[in-house]
Amino acid sequence: MEHAIEVNNLTKVYGRPGSGVLAVDHVGFEVRRGEIFGFLGPNGAGKTTTQRMLTTLLEPTEGRITIFGHDLARNAYPVKRQMGLVPEESNVYAELSAWDNLMFTAQLYRVPRRERAARAQELLETFGLWEKRDVKVENFSKGMRRRLSIAMAIIHRPALLFLDEPTPGLDAQSGRAIRDLIRQMNAEGTTVFLTTHQIEEANQLCGRVAIINHGRIAAIDTPERLKAAFRRVQSVEVALEPDGGAHGEPLAALPRATTSVKMGDKWRLYTEDPSALLSQVMAYANSRKLRVVSLSTLGPSLEDVFLEITGQQVGTVHHETPDDKPKRRMRGGGQ
Amino acid sequence: MTFRWRQRILDELAQAWAVAVKDVRVYYLKAPMIMFGLLLPFFLFFSFSVRRQIGAEVGLTRLLALTTFFTASSAGPVIIPLERRSGTYDRLLAAPMSLATLLLGKTLVGAFFALATSIAPLLVGVLVMRVVVANAGLLLVGVVLASLAFSAFGLLFGSIPTRSVGSIMMPSTLVRWPLLFISGIFIPLAEMAPWTRALAYLSPLTYAQDLMNHAVLGTGDLNPWLDLALLPVVLLVFLVLAARMHHRSLVLGAG
Repeated sequence: MEHAIEVNNLTKVYGRPGSGVLAVDHVGFEVRRGEIFGFLGPNGAGKTTTQRMLTTLLEPTEGRITIFGHDLARNAYPVKRQMGLVPEESNVYAELSAWDNLMFTAQLYRVPRRERAARAQELLETFGLWEKRDVKVENFSKGMRRRLSIAMAIIHRPALLFLDEPTPGLDAQSGRAIRDLIRQMNAEGTTVFLTTHQIEEANQLCGRVAIINHGRIAAIDTPERLKAAFRRVQSVEVALEPDGGAHGEPLAALPRATTSVKMGDKWRLYTEDPSALLSQVMAYANSRKLRVVSLSTLGPSLEDVFLEITGQQVGTVHHETPDDKPKRRMRGGGQ
Repeated sequence: MTFRWRQRILDELAQAWAVAVKDVRVYYLKAPMIMFGLLLPFFLFFSFSVRRQIGAEVGLTRLLALTTFFTASSAGPVIIPLERRSGTYDRLLAAPMSLATLLLGKTLVGAFFALATSIAPLLVGVLVMRVVVANAGLLLVGVVLASLAFSAFGLLFGSIPTRSVGSIMMPSTLVRWPLLFISGIFIPLAEMAPWTRALAYLSPLTYAQDLMNHAVLGTGDLNPWLDLALLPVVLLVFLVLAARMHHRSLVLGAG
């Protein structure tokens, strides 16, 4: 099966070789045709640098990128024709109307003249912007600009779509609409390369994810397999009454708990052995005559995996109390 | 030429045109464009010409040279950093067109701006001041060539990888203003000292001014064919340099 993207030994050094900053360090991965591929990493890990190299906005220091069988360094033109790009910043022309933004992009991508208007109307209707088509974009909300930015990226029906943080800052409805659209485009055959901080978004959308850290690929697999590989970050979530928020320290001190994190009115206790910890939590509640409002076991989330891989292990932040005594590994707060 | 290549060239020309038209619509009324491109040449002209006894014909040649030079070379330094800041420049760089096409589109924007600005002094000169243009065809070709060459000159500054118009205006002003004073606009070449005249020959504005002189006055200090031959060369040299600077930005990841 031919890959949509093949990356070999990709390296980027900002500044002079030898004294520059190494942003991406001999990275290699493939993106299959027709998949939604998530690219995750903490700030400064090399996500955006990698995506800019994949979209011809930055020249690699070393390595090779092949997209749809074309070497990007030698023959970018056919790749660019099949590629759509939604950057983190909604790069629309604020001085033009939504309609004119789409028409301009259609001209750039040489969408046949007779198809432009119909395609623009279809997209504006899909994104709920048809009524505002003649309004200057400077009067649009952030969500509307985002939707227009995506419409501009797909007006030429790209076979490969790059999305950089498509939903942060949007209201829940806009975010959901964009995720639905990504799924729909993917179902119609578009390969999607999704760069995101939103771990749950990647979990919901992506067939496979790569986690990049310090410029290197730290893990690459399906979300479920990654979670399965990190069983040690399973957890038990418990809500107790009365004084639900006051039990963090004793719960964290239970023999099978490795970490406690306050989650609203609940405590999440990380463990390698959830069944043993469940009994200990029940024993703790019984001994203090507490009511167990809810109790559940959770597998590792993709966020837990991400934190583990990127060295930000769950529970590494100490829980602060008024007397600021050192406590067992705890995270969160709000007590 | 195969059909595929012919189609590709037609596509690229259409893309350059689309970029130019979009820029005209988006940026012509931006404050820096009006300040540096529209008002500045007229301020300069009146500052250096009003109290001196010059004929309307000479005034017209000066004003045409000033407007083509300042107006055309203002577009790149204003538009490109504004586009870098809003992220829209990435949209253009990622589009399926060559860098040469993008730069051609950007060159056309400045040239259109200069041509449009030149019309006002020309109309005032011919209709109000009754200036008789010696060679209208040469004037048209001269203004077009000078506008294109100076617009490409402005692209050099626009190619500096920054998102701040102010950061570009500093080097742009440092280079453009000295050129203005050594190019035979305010002091004719024939009246210059030999060493300043040698410097003047290095400035493309000298050849544009000389061409305006030939076209309007019917006389100049240099051969008009030399002026006509050099301005396209200058245009090409500036475009190549701008392309190299853009490529350097892609390597450095700057801007």
